[in-house]
Amino acid sequence: MNEIEKYLARAAGRENVRVGQDITINIDLAVAHDVTAPMAISQFEKIGVNRVFNQKKVMFVFDHVFPAPTIPARHNHRQIMEFADKYKVRCFGKGEGVIHQIVAEEGGLSRGSMLIGADSHTCTAGAYGVLAFGVGSTELAAAMATGTLDIEVPPVQLIRLEGETSPGVYAKDIILHLIGKFGTDGFTDQGIIFAGSWVTSADIEEKMTISNMAIEMGAMLSYFSESEEVGPVSKTQRIEVNTLVPVMACPHSPGNVKPIADVLNMPINQVVIGSCTNGRISDMRVAAEVFSKGNVHPKVTCIALPASNKVAQIMESEGLTRIMREAGVTVMNSGCGPCYGGHMGIVTADDVVVATTNRNFPGRMGAKEANIYLASPRAAAEAAVCGKIVLPGTAVPLGGE
Amino acid sequence: MDSKLTFRGRVWCLGDNIDTDQILPGYAMAYPQAQLKCYALAGSAIPDFAQRVKAGDIIVAGNNFGAGSSREQAPVALKEAGVGAVIAQSFARIFRRNSINIGLPIMCADIIGKVKDGDEIILDLAAGEVSLADKIVIKGQRPGDNVLTILEAGGLIPKVRQQMQQAREE
Repeated sequence: MNEIEKYLARAAGRENVRVGQDITINIDLAVAHDVTAPMAISQFEKIGVNRVFNQKKVMFVFDHVFPAPTIPARHNHRQIMEFADKYKVRCFGKGEGVIHQIVAEEGGLSRGSMLIGADSHTCTAGAYGVLAFGVGSTELAAAMATGTLDIEVPPVQLIRLEGETSPGVYAKDIILHLIGKFGTDGFTDQGIIFAGSWVTSADIEEKMTISNMAIEMGAMLSYFSESEEVGPVSKTQRIEVNTLVPVMACPHSPGNVKPIADVLNMPINQVVIGSCTNGRISDMRVAAEVFSKGNVHPKVTCIALPASNKVAQIMESEGLTRIMREAGVTVMNSGCGPCYGGHMGIVTADDVVVATTNRNFPGRMGAKEANIYLASPRAAAEAAVCGKIVLPGTAVPLGGE
Repeated sequence: MDSKLTFRGRVWCLGDNIDTDQILPGYAMAYPQAQLKCYALAGSAIPDFAQRVKAGDIIVAGNNFGAGSSREQAPVALKEAGVGAVIAQSFARIFRRNSINIGLPIMCADIIGKVKDGDEIILDLAAGEVSLADKIVIKGQRPGDNVLTILEAGGLIPKVRQQMQQAREE
């Protein structure tokens, strides 16, 4: 068995599992946020049980519509708080951060744990070896009652990331390259194990950026290995990361990936730095390095959202928040913000956006004609300063970080 | 022919990679469930779909239907708007599971290009077949028995309800 199968077998209480087999796994944590929890709660209440399977293993996080921008959003928050009170489960209801970051900080999970989350980017936790399943509200409701999840054992491919990246190339460029290469359905219903020398030397935040976007290739599971021997897999892909260049996912798909060199000088008027993909402290340090030497272009709205309050606190203590604000960046509370078009940065049809987020589908951030480019924090910050798409190193020389 | 798993309806054709932002835009996610139907496909190439759809209509699409977000509001909006079934060349995993879990029938079949908007077709899930207007029958991927059981029950919750009841009685 490979590493994913080994952990699935353990969670299913079986000696072994084989590809295609239907199994029931025991889960270690079930999570939902403020736009998926309300539906999960109403479905849960139809099941007719008076308790969740384990009070310590269910948790809610307010991140998508917090603080509430609308009356229905506030109703959702009130409903979740009442449920959490009644069933004695944890509720992060004070804007502590984006669910996937809060799971990493407070979830108490370890390598081989089983996580299910009512959000597609639940796969972020694969960065630290958790088998993390993104599900819908009904499946989450069922798991809140039963403590289990029914799945079929997926075929698993190994992606070996080898070597070192060039200056100006980041984890975001690696995952965007992969999505461009394999397509937005390249791994549908499959698991991915990431390994290789780049993975061995990468820090956890870089791995989280990559694991976060595994769903953008349709993957069922993403798992970062710590070993060189991951066991038998259906296929092995090998990527020499030193051959990669800075890239962007161009409108209107995360799979429409081009070298930045091919889209140079495109005028832009909004930049978003943050999200569960790239809102961690290393991302903010990279962005602040640019803003310490250049101000936001007069025609650009630049928004930064830390992935959690912990990230925001480190930004404060390192002086990054001040640097960004002085450069003209709107530093907001932690949360999802404009990433999914909910609030705090909605765009019009003729807006052109560079964002460090994970999706640029039509209408993702507002008007469906708006053009959204997905990029690394460095490329986004430099675009904010120059008012157009530029190669990393154009606004501020590389190497100072 | 099991009528519970057979669906007759008018076709609406869509392309490849119809993502969940097109099916139900992010801004509508926090809206009350009863309102979701008004936003079905609001972000797609047919933004007025919700006003024009008739009960039982069938969406026919290309590859990777439902890509992106896990928002169950997407299949719920389609179902509440009256969509009887979705037939696509392939589905994104979470959307596929969400649809089954809420009782929206879906099946993989390659019929895009063989039908046009307004055609009347019949989806026979138990047989894994689609009958087109001119009596042509296209084989699709018949869903597994466990999926058909969930769809017949009207979704996952009735199944789990029964399962939990049994566990209590034992």
